[in-house]
Amino acid sequence: MGSSEARKGSRITSLSRALLDSVKRLSPFSLIANPVMFIVEIAFFIVVLMAIYPVGFGPLAETGERGFYATVATILLFTVWFSTLADALAEQQARNTANSLRQLETQVISTIVITEGWSRKYVTKPSSEIKRGDVILVKKDEIVPMDAEVLEGIAMVDESLLTGESTAVKKAPGDVLIGGSRVISDTLTARVTVNPEDSYIKQMAKMVESSKRPKTANEKAITVVLIGLTAIFSVIILTLIGISLALRLGGDLSVFIALYVCLLPTTIGALLSAIGLSGISRLYKRKIVAKSGKAVETAGDVDIILLDKTGTITVGDREAVEFIPFEGWDERAVGEAAFLSSWYDDTPEGRSIIKLAYKRGYIPKEINELSMSKIYNFSATTRTSGIRLTEVNDEIRTGGKENRRRWWFSRKHADKLVRSTPLTEVEIMKGAPDAIRGIVDSVPMEFDRITDEISSAGETPIAISKDGKAIGMIRLKDVLKQGVMGKIADLKLMGIEPIMITGDQPLTAESIAHEVGIDKYVPRAKPADKYDIVRAQQAESKIVAMIGDGTNDAPALSVADVGLAMNSGTEPAKEAANMIDLESNPAKVMDVVMLGKQLLMTRGAITTFSIANDVAKYFAIVPVLFAATIPQLQALNILGLGLHTAVLSTLIFNAAIIPALIPLAMRGISFKPANTMTLFLRNALIFGVGGVILPFIGIKAIDILLIILRI
Amino acid sequence: MDLIEISWVLLIIGATAAVAWLIAPYITKIYTHESSRIDRIFDPIENLIYRTIGVDKNRGMGWKEYFLTGLSVNLIMMAIAFSIFLFQGVLPLNPQHFSGLNWNLALNNVISFMTNTDLQHYAGESTLSYLSQTAAVQFLMFSAPATGISMAVAMIRGFRVGAKDLGNFYLDFTRTIIRLLLPLSILVSLVLVVLGVPQSISGYAVVRTIEGVTQQIAIGPIASLTSITQLGSNGGGYFGANFAYPFQNPSPVSDILELSLMLLLPTALIFVFGRLLGKKGESKPVFIAAYSMLGINLLIGFLQKVNLGPGIETRIGGFFSTFWTVISTSTNTGSLNASLYAMSPSAVLSSFMSMFIQSTPGAVGTGLIYMIMYVILTVFIVGLMAGRTPEYLGIKITARDVGLIMLAFIIHPIIILIPTILAYTTGAAAQIGIGANAIGFTKIFYEFSSAAANNGSDFFGILANTPFFNIATAIVMFVGRYAPMCILLALSGSILGRKREAMSGLRTDSLVFAVVLVGSIIILVLLVFLPFLALGPILAFFEGRMNFFG
Repeated sequence: MGSSEARKGSRITSLSRALLDSVKRLSPFSLIANPVMFIVEIAFFIVVLMAIYPVGFGPLAETGERGFYATVATILLFTVWFSTLADALAEQQARNTANSLRQLETQVISTIVITEGWSRKYVTKPSSEIKRGDVILVKKDEIVPMDAEVLEGIAMVDESLLTGESTAVKKAPGDVLIGGSRVISDTLTARVTVNPEDSYIKQMAKMVESSKRPKTANEKAITVVLIGLTAIFSVIILTLIGISLALRLGGDLSVFIALYVCLLPTTIGALLSAIGLSGISRLYKRKIVAKSGKAVETAGDVDIILLDKTGTITVGDREAVEFIPFEGWDERAVGEAAFLSSWYDDTPEGRSIIKLAYKRGYIPKEINELSMSKIYNFSATTRTSGIRLTEVNDEIRTGGKENRRRWWFSRKHADKLVRSTPLTEVEIMKGAPDAIRGIVDSVPMEFDRITDEISSAGETPIAISKDGKAIGMIRLKDVLKQGVMGKIADLKLMGIEPIMITGDQPLTAESIAHEVGIDKYVPRAKPADKYDIVRAQQAESKIVAMIGDGTNDAPALSVADVGLAMNSGTEPAKEAANMIDLESNPAKVMDVVMLGKQLLMTRGAITTFSIANDVAKYFAIVPVLFAATIPQLQALNILGLGLHTAVLSTLIFNAAIIPALIPLAMRGISFKPANTMTLFLRNALIFGVGGVILPFIGIKAIDILLIILRI
Repeated sequence: MDLIEISWVLLIIGATAAVAWLIAPYITKIYTHESSRIDRIFDPIENLIYRTIGVDKNRGMGWKEYFLTGLSVNLIMMAIAFSIFLFQGVLPLNPQHFSGLNWNLALNNVISFMTNTDLQHYAGESTLSYLSQTAAVQFLMFSAPATGISMAVAMIRGFRVGAKDLGNFYLDFTRTIIRLLLPLSILVSLVLVVLGVPQSISGYAVVRTIEGVTQQIAIGPIASLTSITQLGSNGGGYFGANFAYPFQNPSPVSDILELSLMLLLPTALIFVFGRLLGKKGESKPVFIAAYSMLGINLLIGFLQKVNLGPGIETRIGGFFSTFWTVISTSTNTGSLNASLYAMSPSAVLSSFMSMFIQSTPGAVGTGLIYMIMYVILTVFIVGLMAGRTPEYLGIKITARDVGLIMLAFIIHPIIILIPTILAYTTGAAAQIGIGANAIGFTKIFYEFSSAAANNGSDFFGILANTPFFNIATAIVMFVGRYAPMCILLALSGSILGRKREAMSGLRTDSLVFAVVLVGSIIILVLLVFLPFLALGPILAFFEGRMNFFG
């Protein structure tokens, strides 16, 4: 019970904090940053003066209805307050999500080795507290917290998320460990070579304070429009007042002010800042830290997304799907050899080979010899791995086929199996076709044909050799990430072109690209190539987004318009990027683009809505402007509003629409991926046409309510 | 409007738009300097002009130089015309021995004709000598549209991909006159002469009527003046009665021809716009927007029927008078074939809409300049809803661009509203007998709207020949003409050579955008002017008035 109540409690505290904050912001000195609302506040003070001393306003306050003036002043004050409330709420939301991100940051725990004389002590620390020079101990299945140099131990490390290379890499003393990589066998001791970079955490803190957040280019431009409209409406109202005085039309200043405030783009003026801040909050909720508001906006403009194949399109692991024997061998022989050679291969690929062999029933009779075998680990120089073990002769083996079928396949029980009589030693190796070609005496005729056939289908061939003879191949297939095809289709629908970057062969790359619906791909790419690709696209006036993690990516990340770095990536990469994904999920770059679009759309929709609203307000107020002297203008009163309630109804609608839209501003408008013009048309209909119609209904409804309540 | 009348409207407008579309490629070549067969005729003439005034025709200008050159050329012309008006009494070609104009009327006149407004606080036939009518008025009637077209073309150049400068004002101006306005107006003049419009400088004819009375008939170089009046969005007439006078508009054929001429070049320039950009599709939303707003203006204009009565020529009739008035203000030509007084409140309301929007399709050159202003403003306001930072023709719209556009947009209401109030507060309105009522307010408001939009029609005519109205409208016409030109050229100059984005946001060449553009222009304009329209023509409409007499 405690946690839910505590959460409720903290929600109440943060709400009351926002409320208090919104009242503080009513001070004209802090409001001056928002020109529209500042003017509404001035209008409020003038109407307050009218209520206090109406006589001082001469012919502009002939009716002298103090009660009316006081009501108008109250609504004006609420209008301003709703605006500061929107700001305060958005800021509170941003602060809350930012705080939860900071907690998430400290959740990566690592073991630090402290050497005192001859004894060693182990301490666990959050990665944010690890400093350069600390010695860390990384065990199997643990994440390397940050870049480090191996001191002791040899282990296989999975760097697939960082380098795009699916194969695990062996790390020995002196090798460099990349932060974010995962140790998949053995244990390593390493010395941290970098300091934790907390600059983006600091950036984040700055971004959530709306007063400190610099206005983005687009926000500045909208502010210019708002100031322009304010200036135009000021001229109009002053002229109207002048005409009223010159022609003795007897208009009341409070009504002019009411019309003025209603015409001012108060809705967007009140929500502009909150919309921008909420856009950043929405990124935080997806565990992405944007270093600036500009980056979020730019994300909406992206034309090109560079997608690393591994980690973004495919899960980074390949899966065995077929055993292909060469002339003179059968599928079983290949399957069993593959099984044996993969037994100690703990990579996802190795596991998938075992899985396939088991599924097909190719369980070798040598399974109980495995514990006695000699293992050849994968190394970068030989690019092969394998095993040497005693071969079991079929005839001599006890149990026969029937028995073997009963053996419940399990690694645990492998050692307990009945031992067969040993005969000769056999060496089984597996590796890339060209690597195997290097260790066998000769390759069969079909070796190249099958290699090409597998590659051209976009799959990976692994050759198997037995005692220096190539016996067959394993077909490995890339596994697509879940939902990736839908996301790519959405991107293309919205006019964004994905480019797939991969270290694979052209044929492999083409096949995967084709499968997921990507038209452009760059095969055999090294991380350093990304820079050139980004530059080339930018030269064609395209706005480019990319993902990066390795140090190699830093130059490209810094030139890309939107650079999303993985939190697991290296510090230079994180520094160069303008966004960081704390969950290190490269596929999120597509979400970032959608969020950017959502931010821009929300801003445009509320701006359009705000301006479209004015039409109805004119029809509500103009008929009563000179009600006493020009009753004919009642003909424009198409809503049939009450003579005494029209102004108040319009003012109340004008104020109430602000809090009514706060949720929309903070949540962002929802949209289904579609092409730009469809999205535009939909938004234009809802917020443009709807923006013209809604206030007619809203004002009339409030008017009826006021008349019923006899106000 | 009955079916026959609707058919007339569609036929005349459709035919004009078709001709405009046909001549657009020719006009485009004038500004792309693409070689053509007629170069052999025009090149020597132009080269002679360039040599005489010492122009290097290969030198392009930046926006400041272009604008200031245009403005200076205009100022020099104004100075010349001003002297002619002032001293016409002692200058030749004055068979009627008219005396010189007073300084404020002369000032109003030169600004009026130079700014393509042709607001006339005088009656031509009893005020201006032949020299004034030709050397001053007609000369400015060619120069004003040539300036407008040149400025519009320069503005378009800034939007072109890879443009290095905005062109050379001297070249554009000269080529506009030599290759476009002169040949066209000579052609039209000949047709008008055939249709019965006089062309003479032999002095007013004195005839003895059948009743035996001697009568003086005012004739002069009318055909040539009339053609450029209509072609160049000028609108000023030889006669105070403008196109209601038989010598300017003798027959139904001349009426229809002259009416179409007003639409011809403003429409052609819309097509030239896309061609000059190298993106013909961009003309589409501009054309659709301009013509749908023209359609809306016609609908408003014909809301009330204009009946025969005072101020309407019997031979022209209520329908063609209203039609003319709507087209004339829609192109900000300002010529009239009936008295504005005789127009219904709805026809006057329609005229106001045209003068506020100024792009329906508006005057030659300036109509397009205003339209681009609306396009950019609309793209900026609604473009975000496409989920991208707004861009027009691949150009990201910056805060500075929007600032310039807002400035151009705000000038128009300011120069209309402030002098309107001043007319009342200074007593200038009362001085010419204008009352503080819907009719009076409409007339004052119309005067300054017409001046600001460089339209030229007005209720007052010779009545407004007072220092206040002469000076006030002169200032309004001047600012209303040059300020938006200057601002849009500044915008174009800043866009010159700016980085282009891949155009993947809101498609401005789509029908959807054209519709949104119309909606946005009407809303923006109504937001600014609705309360004032409510005090003027709308009020007159609800008061059940049929015209503006009394």
